[in-house]
Amino acid sequence: MFTEELKAFRRLGFRHVLLQVLNFASVIASGLMIWKGLGLLTNTESPIVVVLSYWFHGTRFYRGDLLFLTNPASERYHTGDITVYKIPGADIPIVHRVLETHDVSEKVKIPGLVTKYPGDQLLLTKGDNNYVDDIELYQGLDWLERKHIVGKNDFPQLKYALLGILGLLALIQRE
Amino acid sequence: MARTKKPENGTSTARSPSPSRASSASPSSPSGEDKPTGPLSIIISPEDREAIKVNNANATELKNACDDAMKRYLSRPELFKQIYLHTDVRLGLGWLSVFVAAGTAFYGYKVEFEKSKPVVWAGLILYILLTTLQTLYAYFIEGDVVYVGKRKTFSRRIVSERITLSSRTVPVERSKPPAYEVSITYVRSTSGGKSLLAKGKTHGVREYNSFFDEEGTMDQERFERWVGELVEQAMEGKSS
Repeated sequence: MFTEELKAFRRLGFRHVLLQVLNFASVIASGLMIWKGLGLLTNTESPIVVVLSYWFHGTRFYRGDLLFLTNPASERYHTGDITVYKIPGADIPIVHRVLETHDVSEKVKIPGLVTKYPGDQLLLTKGDNNYVDDIELYQGLDWLERKHIVGKNDFPQLKYALLGILGLLALIQRE
Repeated sequence: MARTKKPENGTSTARSPSPSRASSASPSSPSGEDKPTGPLSIIISPEDREAIKVNNANATELKNACDDAMKRYLSRPELFKQIYLHTDVRLGLGWLSVFVAAGTAFYGYKVEFEKSKPVVWAGLILYILLTTLQTLYAYFIEGDVVYVGKRKTFSRRIVSERITLSSRTVPVERSKPPAYEVSITYVRSTSGGKSLLAKGKTHGVREYNSFFDEEGTMDQERFERWVGELVEQAMEGKSS
């Protein structure tokens, strides 16, 4: 099966093989770097996520939808923001809306969370399709803190922009 | 004695390493003056050839096939030895950037996001730097160059030759089919490069359809004859 390729490689030499493998590896490397770069720019470890769960199904999002996340460090989260959060101990991140925010006024230690200082935020979320808030999902915690949040979905229009660009590329490229 | 350009039929002197050029083994023995052998005088026997077939609608494939054929043609024994500087720089920078990317991604995967940020920033910037260097090198220094070769021959004195070939595709213009343009720069010197013996610069343009048929099979002999003539013209010090 590989005799054709092996013959060609022996004829063209070692450097040629290295070049070919490099072409392939560079594509992967550039993809990785773009992903990491995007993560640094948006300050979130997962700048693009796919909706897996059923919770938001039937509202604004459907399973398989793309979400573009940002997580600006200095901005406060507001009630109504759509956030993606991850509870340590749970495998999958959850896409829900912020129901309540609580601003800490004095230094306090809440069980399960990092010590809170004035200005820190605590969040409570709820899925649009659910009747109750997410307390049961928090695995014992009463609130979410900022470090649980992966990001918020502030730019739902980006999803359409990306699809538009991909469609345009598919049309423009020959063959 | 005139130097014959047409090699004798039936003799395959290509593979036999004949050290002395003045012997009658090579059909085009230079007359008196030490002119090094040009590529046309060394024949390839038909059995040594492998057929080349490409997609003749794809100009990139056509150019690559011509470039590869040229490199093989000039790198045969008794002819030039390829200098791999451009290739090695591209390989070095390229593989380095791949390892930087892989290392950064792996670090970001292992270490928690907030803590990993400074190192990931450093890795990203290093990657962008290496990629920029690669692009600049390829555009400014390497350019259209396809082959750089050198040869040292020892007759009465050490003669060093250096040949550089660049090529590009002349794109389709109204009813003119795409063509292959090759430029050759040649320098022959001695005494460690201090005294110049010959210097030539030639270039030629030929349409791709004169080398490739409808199925995309390459007429290697025709291509090699054309390139060989251009090279030998450059070796004689002509400039065009």
